[in-house]
Amino acid sequence: MSHLHIPDGVLPLWLWGLGWLVAIVAVVAAGVIAERADIRRRVPLLAVVSALMLVAMSSEIIPIAYHVNLTVIGGVLLGPVLSIIAAFIVEVVLALLGHGGVTVLGLNTVVIAAEMLLGWALFRGLIAIFGRARVRPVAFVATVLALAATTTMLVGIVALGGVGASARESGALDPSTLRFENPFAEGVFTLGLFAGGHEHEGEDHGGEDTGHEGEHAAEGEHEEAGHEAEHEHEAEHEALASDSHEEDAVRRFALVVYTLGPIGWVLEGLLTAWVLGYVSRVRPGLMWGGRWARSGGRPPGDEGTVN
Amino acid sequence: MDVSAIDRSATSGTGPLRAASPRVKLAALGLVLAATLVSWNILVLAAIFLSLLAAALWGRVKLRLALGLAAYPAVFALVFAFASAPDLMTATVIVVKAVTSALAAVLVVLTTPYPQVFAPIQRVMPGIVGDALLMTYRAIFILAEKFSNLLRAIRLRAGLRGKSAVRSIRVTAAAVGGLLLYSVDLAQRDYDIMRIRGYEGALRITPFRSRSRKADVTLVIGSVVLLGASTAWRVESSALNPYSWIVVLPALAALGLTLLLRKGE
Repeated sequence: MSHLHIPDGVLPLWLWGLGWLVAIVAVVAAGVIAERADIRRRVPLLAVVSALMLVAMSSEIIPIAYHVNLTVIGGVLLGPVLSIIAAFIVEVVLALLGHGGVTVLGLNTVVIAAEMLLGWALFRGLIAIFGRARVRPVAFVATVLALAATTTMLVGIVALGGVGASARESGALDPSTLRFENPFAEGVFTLGLFAGGHEHEGEDHGGEDTGHEGEHAAEGEHEEAGHEAEHEHEAEHEALASDSHEEDAVRRFALVVYTLGPIGWVLEGLLTAWVLGYVSRVRPGLMWGGRWARSGGRPPGDEGTVN
Repeated sequence: MDVSAIDRSATSGTGPLRAASPRVKLAALGLVLAATLVSWNILVLAAIFLSLLAAALWGRVKLRLALGLAAYPAVFALVFAFASAPDLMTATVIVVKAVTSALAAVLVVLTTPYPQVFAPIQRVMPGIVGDALLMTYRAIFILAEKFSNLLRAIRLRAGLRGKSAVRSIRVTAAAVGGLLLYSVDLAQRDYDIMRIRGYEGALRITPFRSRSRKADVTLVIGSVVLLGASTAWRVESSALNPYSWIVVLPALAALGLTLLLRKGE
């Protein structure tokens, strides 16, 4: 649940546009640093780790609407610079396969990259404190914390953007005006498609109608001045209702992700702990390579780092 | 996700969608996504979805594969819609938006070889990003097949049993760990081979040319019409909403016509 599974067109333009901007700047910067640092020979590793994350993300655990991400494993193996590029690659391929929207690709890259970076930093930090003998518990804690943090980030993004259709976005989503009307005969046949359609006949309320049928039916009896006052009152009422709906929706969204999320975090934590434990036992050079390499000899079976 | 089926569909087969220029298809995808983005009208969104179905039939794309892939985000969109939508109508629109935009993206991927899809990204991003993108796509096939074989082998040896979830996770983790190490070796070997063959930090892609000008024109006109209708019904929603049903008719007609043509072939 760590990246956004929000369809295109739900979040406001400024938010997903900002996501794209941040993601592009981060990916270009990471690309430039990677080329300067001459870690090009790690491109194949970057590709297989990204592919592994993609294979994992494509297998959904249906009852809890969760899929494993393997982001912390990716972060630990790739390091911070390549993690940003991996996050972008994974999101591009997922968006093209219809898994997640194209507009939210930037925000998703930011969230996944944050998860990988946070996972990497927590894992390294905790290993520095508790030692390499405790790879499994450290990996578990790092994964759960990273996933909890990025889920909170996700809720924050949704709260910032506003969820679902609000007064801001849903001009065309007015069930009361969705009807079967004949454009050539001024209502020779008119069928209410959704509840509340008939009361609007002959009225011109622009985009302000939101389905308050009783109020609209009564409007015909008022004078012009009364109309204006009522419209003002209605607009205030709508603004307040919209704000309250937004808060409720964000609260509901947070409740759902914080209820389903922890099951997924624990599953992913266990998987990450065992995988990293297995890798550190069988091929420690992969995890402790580079500046993390011990000065002593390598255990049997360790062919060293791919660096 | 059956990646090999996706790749087979993209690289083999015939039909106007496969003959169209990849650039035109990407531009049409952008326009259709914009149409989906703009609209909150369920009937307009239904019209876009039906038009995409018609395009899939016209382009001889396997509908089951395309719809299967497009339905995947619906599960997650349902969770989001359930959590945040104020009413059933909004929830339905959120799910329809997810499936429609996914179907648009899936149609491009199912009819265009992946290097052609990634070529525009490769042109604007640093070389390392473009190269890694191409290599990742290739690695998915190898890993997906290897992982499926590994899981089959584990099942045959009764390593995965429904009763013990923890044991199953443990065994799966060992399989993922093994797969990871295999992938690392594979990556190293790949890099060595690429260096021997002259790789110096840039994989070049020659862009495909269109094999059907008619398909290009149809795609552009179709997507512009969809965006135009979607924008009109959004901007003039109060006046046009009662006539939203009209948008569905041409889409239904197009779907019916393509169905008839397919049956006649």
